[in-house]
Amino acid sequence: MNKKNTIRAVVALTVGVAIIAIGDAFLGPFAVRILNLSAIYIILALSLNLLNGFTGLFSLGHAGFMAVGAYVSALLTMTPAQKSMNFFLTPIVPWLDTVQLPFIVALIIAGLCAAFVGLLIGAPALRLRDDYLAIATLGFAEIIRVLITNAQSLTNGAQGLKAIPKYSTTWVVWGAAAIAALFLVMLLRSSYGRTIKAVRDDEIAAEAMGVNVFRVKVTSFVISSFWAGIGGALLGHMITTIDPKMFNLILTFNILLIVVLGGNGSITGSVLGAIIVTVLMEALRFLDMPMNLVFIKTQGLPGLRMVIFSILLMIVVLYRQRGLMGTKEFSWDMLSAKALLAALKPKKRGERARKGGR
Amino acid sequence: MKRILGIIAIALAIALLFGCAKPADKAASTVIKFGVFEPLTGANAAGGAEELDGIRLAQGLYPTVTVGGKVYTIELAIADNKSDKVEAANAGQRLVDSDKVTLVLGSWGSSLSMAAGPIFEAAKIPAIALSATNVLVTKDNPYYFRVCFLDPFQGTVMANYAFKNVQAKNAVIIREVTNDYSVGLAKFFADSFKGLTGNPDAILAELNYQTNDQDFSAQLTRVKTLKPDVIFAPGNYTESALIIKQARELGITAPFLGGDTWEINEFIQVGRQAVEGAVMSAFFDNDAPLTPLSGVFVTEYQKKYGKLPSGTAVLGFDGYLLAIDAIKRADSIDPIKIRDAIAATKGFEGAAGVVNLDVNGDPIKSAVIKEVKDGKFVYKTTVAP
Repeated sequence: MNKKNTIRAVVALTVGVAIIAIGDAFLGPFAVRILNLSAIYIILALSLNLLNGFTGLFSLGHAGFMAVGAYVSALLTMTPAQKSMNFFLTPIVPWLDTVQLPFIVALIIAGLCAAFVGLLIGAPALRLRDDYLAIATLGFAEIIRVLITNAQSLTNGAQGLKAIPKYSTTWVVWGAAAIAALFLVMLLRSSYGRTIKAVRDDEIAAEAMGVNVFRVKVTSFVISSFWAGIGGALLGHMITTIDPKMFNLILTFNILLIVVLGGNGSITGSVLGAIIVTVLMEALRFLDMPMNLVFIKTQGLPGLRMVIFSILLMIVVLYRQRGLMGTKEFSWDMLSAKALLAALKPKKRGERARKGGR
Repeated sequence: MKRILGIIAIALAIALLFGCAKPADKAASTVIKFGVFEPLTGANAAGGAEELDGIRLAQGLYPTVTVGGKVYTIELAIADNKSDKVEAANAGQRLVDSDKVTLVLGSWGSSLSMAAGPIFEAAKIPAIALSATNVLVTKDNPYYFRVCFLDPFQGTVMANYAFKNVQAKNAVIIREVTNDYSVGLAKFFADSFKGLTGNPDAILAELNYQTNDQDFSAQLTRVKTLKPDVIFAPGNYTESALIIKQARELGITAPFLGGDTWEINEFIQVGRQAVEGAVMSAFFDNDAPLTPLSGVFVTEYQKKYGKLPSGTAVLGFDGYLLAIDAIKRADSIDPIKIRDAIAATKGFEGAAGVVNLDVNGDPIKSAVIKEVKDGKFVYKTTVAP
C-alpha cells in the first residue's frame, strides 16, 4: 500500500510540475498572473492556517507581517537609481541608498525580519486568548502600518514604492508555495506538530502533560510571521508596487476567508481554498460586463460578481460548516470509489455531528 | 429539501456561466476598444463612478472615430479594480489580454494606476490617467499619461495665492500623513512658499494627522500658539472640514487653503458656517469656461444626468476626447502610434482647459481657484501655468 502511494505521489508531483510548466509556457499573461497569485495566496493561507487552524490562535495581524516582508525585500532589491526615482519627496536614508542584494537573499531576510517582528509582537500578545488576542494582533498590524506611513525617509511613506523588480516568476512562487506546504506537512507530522495540536485542543491538558504552552504558541506565531513575510515580499515583487494602504485589514480578511473556506486546520483545504478564491474572483468578472441572456439584458452592473461570490460562499458555509475539507487532509484513499460514494450519500444528523467533532 | 435547493443553486450558477458566453465578434474590424480601468466598487467607488460618467457622456457625443477614411465605433471595456491594488493589477492585465483594448482610461486613485502601469507598459498600450495626481504614476513609464495637473503645480499655485493674495509671511501645514496626495501637495507648497518669501523658516510647522481622525485639538492648539498668517491643509474633505470647524471654535482666524479634494458638497455640509472663506484649487468651474468645450460639457452633462457636473467627471470627458484626438493625429489604430501621438500632444482643447503634455506625460494646464461663499463654491480666478 505504502509503495503504491509513493508511486502515486511521484506521478502526482510530475503531473503538477508539468501542469505548471505547460501553463507558464502556453497561457497568456493574464492566466499566468492568476496562476501565480494563487501560489502566493497558498503561502499566505498556509501561514495563517498554522495559527488559526492548527495552534488555535485567532490572529488578525497577518497584513502587518506581509507589509514588513514586502518592504524589506523591495528596499533590498531595488537599484540605487530606482530608489532615487521613488524617493522624490525626501531622500532615502543613506545607509540603505546603495544596498542591493540578490533576490533570494533579500527574500529570506524579509522573512526573517517579519519573523523577528512576530517575536516582538507575539511575546507580549500571546499571553492573551481568543478575542483579546485577535484585537491585540489587529492593533499591532495597524501600528506597523502607521509606522511605515510615517517613516518617510525609510519607506517613502504614503507615496508608496514603484518599479520593484519583478522577480515573482511562476517557478519562484510555485517553488515557494511547494516549500511552504512541504514544510508545514513535515512540521505537523513531527512530534512538535502534535504538541501544537495538543495546545489547540486542550491547553490545560497539554500543560499538564508537560508542554510549554507559551513557547509552543510563540514558535508557531514566529513561523507563521516568517511565511507571511515571504508571501508579502512575493506579492510586492509580483505587482511591482506597494504602499501602506494596501496592507489593511481587508487583506487579512481575504486570507482568513481562504483559510475558513478551505477548512480551518487543513493544509489541503488552504491550498484548494487559495486556488478557488483567486480563480473564481476573476472567472466571475464577466458578471460585471454587459450581459445578453436570452430574457434579461443588463448594461453591466459593477459589483455583481461580488454579490454572486458572496452567495457562493454562503452556500459553502451553510452546507459545509467546517470549510471544504474540514480538518481532513488529502489522501489517496479519499479518491477510492467507496469513499466517493460515502461522500455523496447524505449523512444522518447525528452521524455528521459525531464525525465533525474533533 | 436543502439538497434540492443546493442543486438548484449550483445549476443556476452553471447556467449563468454558459448563458453569458461571449457573443460572437461582430465585424470586429470596425470596432476600437477603450479600456476603462476604474474602481467601481470598494472605498473609491464614488470617484470611479464620476469619471465613468464623464467618459460615458463623451462616448455618447462622439461614438466614432475615423481613421484612414474608415469609421470605427468606439466600445468601452469596463474593468472594475475594486479599489484594491492586487485586484487592480489583475483587472489591468485582463483589459490587455482578454479584452484586447487599444488604450486605457483611468484610474481614480494613483496607487491603483501604479499597480497596472508596468502591465500597460509591457503590453505597449497607452494609458491616460484622469485624476491621478501622484508624480510616480507617469514617472519612468513612457506609456502612462494624464490629463489633470499634478501635485507640484497645485502646491505651487496655492503657495503663490498665499503669498500674493493673502500676503502671508508665514504658514502652517496640516497634512494627512496617510494620504500620498496630501503629503505631496504639502511638500511642494512648502518648497515654493519658502522660495517666494525668501525665508527658509516661513513654514512654522508641519503637523500630521491620520485618515479618519476626528479630534484635531492637539494640532490646532499648536497652530494657535504659532499664529500663522495662513494654514495650508490639503486632505480628505471630511477631515479637512472638521479641522476648520474645530480651528474656528478655538478662535483661530487665519485663512485655510486646500486642494481640489475639498470641492465637493460634503465639505460644506460637514463644515457649514466654519468653512466660509476656505480657498482651494480646482480643475474646473461650471461658470467659468476655460475653453469653448467647457460650455458643451456642462450643458450636455445636465441634459444626460439631470444635475450639475462635479469633481472629476470633466477629466473623464477630457481623457476620452484626448484619446480620440490622438487616434486622429496618429491616423492609425496601432497602440504604439497612438502612444506617440498622445506624447506629442500640444494645445489640445479639452473641457477642463488646454492640455500640453511635457516629457513625463504630465500636462501643463491652468488651475482654477475657488472660495466657499454663502454655502457655495464660488469661482475666484484662473491661474495659468
